Amino acid sequence: MRVAALKRPTSRDGLLASLSALLVLLVLFMEELAPLFQALFPELGNPVYRRESFLQLTLDHLLLVLVSSLISVSVGVGAGLFVTRRSGREFEPMVSSLAAIGQTFPPAAVLAIVVPLAGFGFVPTIVALTLYGLLPVVQNTIAGLGTVPPAALEAARGIGMTRGQILRRVELPMAMRVIIAGVRVSVIINIGTATIGSTVGAQSLGTPIIAGLVGNNIAYVIQGAVLVGLLAIVSDLIFERLERRFTFGD
Amino acid sequence: MIELQGLTKIYGDKTVVDDISLRVDSGEFGVLIGPSGCGKSTTLRMINRLIPATHGRILLGDDDVTQLPVEQLRRRIGYAIQSIGLFPHWSVAENIAVVPGLLKWPKSRIDERVDELMGLFHLDVGELRDKYPHQLSGGQAQRVGVARALAADPEVLLMDEPFGAVDPLTREVLQDELLRVHQHTRKTIVFVTHDMDEALKLASRIALLNTGRLVQYDRPIELLTRPADDFVRSFIGKADLGLKLLSRRWVHQYQQHATLQGSPAASTQAGYTWEVDATGRPTCLHGGRLHAEDRQQHTEVTQEWSATPDMTMKEALSRMVWFRVMVLPVIDGEGRLIGEVTMHGVMGQQPCA
Repeated sequence: MRVAALKRPTSRDGLLASLSALLVLLVLFMEELAPLFQALFPELGNPVYRRESFLQLTLDHLLLVLVSSLISVSVGVGAGLFVTRRSGREFEPMVSSLAAIGQTFPPAAVLAIVVPLAGFGFVPTIVALTLYGLLPVVQNTIAGLGTVPPAALEAARGIGMTRGQILRRVELPMAMRVIIAGVRVSVIINIGTATIGSTVGAQSLGTPIIAGLVGNNIAYVIQGAVLVGLLAIVSDLIFERLERRFTFGD
Repeated sequence: MIELQGLTKIYGDKTVVDDISLRVDSGEFGVLIGPSGCGKSTTLRMINRLIPATHGRILLGDDDVTQLPVEQLRRRIGYAIQSIGLFPHWSVAENIAVVPGLLKWPKSRIDERVDELMGLFHLDVGELRDKYPHQLSGGQAQRVGVARALAADPEVLLMDEPFGAVDPLTREVLQDELLRVHQHTRKTIVFVTHDMDEALKLASRIALLNTGRLVQYDRPIELLTRPADDFVRSFIGKADLGLKLLSRRWVHQYQQHATLQGSPAASTQAGYTWEVDATGRPTCLHGGRLHAEDRQQHTEVTQEWSATPDMTMKEALSRMVWFRVMVLPVIDGEGRLIGEVTMHGVMGQQPCA
């Protein structure tokens, strides 16, 4: 147990460091791989996507994920908190099913609905991603707050904490690991899903993928997809570390 | 001081606590006991308003508890429950420090208080201060729970079956420690249990509840010797409870003045008289046998049927029974007669503190 606890973080941290380095190198120096892609796909006239830099695409992609996740997390945690308070308890089934509907809706369908209303580009993509990422956050907030032992809550009340103090000092810290796990799922989903924003004109790492699919350039697809995949794995490992910081006891 | 006046709790059409009035004086150790569902926990939790009372009043000192802001009230009252009530994400020191923190004590004073309390409960400060609850044994966790309840030096300590989750051996050690801490701090304690042995060991007063009503509120020995009704009798009716109680009493608490043979008092009293030798050692007892024909009998005193002040009454009683006498001489370290302890005393007298 002790050995495992000591060994695991080091190997995972090593993985995180090397994958992050790989990601950064690929983002910055994708063009240097032109001979490799040329060798793999000799029929392509243009083996590396050059219309925008991969750095720019990656930053745009991250911005989409960041903004939509921030909205998902604030709305989702807020809704989860609301339905676990005494005053909001009766809304719990409604909020849960609304969040579930948000996720069962295919993001492409959301785009189809939102584009006529909000136009092309950044905004409809954010709407689709936010809806899509809401469910895991809401679910895990409710589940996380549910894991707080009733005895700890009773003790907190009994020794004279106010409701706000109980929430901030007892409930949230103890639910944090599960809530972060929800945010982790939400963010990872959105890193993958953000690529479809490129179909409605939001620039992202999906842009070379779409361009490649349309122009029958498999190298573009690979370049975009590898970066999205690495981004997702690196984010996942970062969240994994974060979760570990909020693990108490067994 | 805690006083309940006509305290009642009604859920729907079910009366869970029915018109309970009692008073636990300052420094007393009050125990609420009764079968499951008798309302003892509900009563306790109405005191710090975790449950609102339907009718009746609760006085904490001179204050009606409903007149105080609820958080302020609870910070004046220590509250200890089973060990899972510790906050798992906080260290031992942080758990103990929580109420002083809420009361905004300066940090140095809090640290001092944490160390003081850990010392009081024999918790090794160096080893345990920064441990988390899951790293503690059941007994240690429970000590931390009680220490947390005492941290801000509350006027009153409420304890809801605090030792229910620990093994019997540890429970006994914790009970001894709680008694010691109670003697040391003289806190007013209200303690809920369903274990009669625990109640008899700890309580200075026991309130026996049944179906929401207060059946009897008395000192432990009164409860044993003068049960109010058949329910009390059946609740305490285990065969050896009396002896268990006496195992918590000491000879010095029952010690009476011994009358010497030939002294002026000897002729007027119906009791027993002693002969002593030149050094004050008892040699012979006059009277003290149960049967009428033995009444005038002289019994020679031996080591085996004498008592010392720090002997438990259970052992003293056992010697009386074994030697079939109604009285034992109490002797000091040099074997001199310093008093007597009698069967009448055991049955009819409150032990002195």
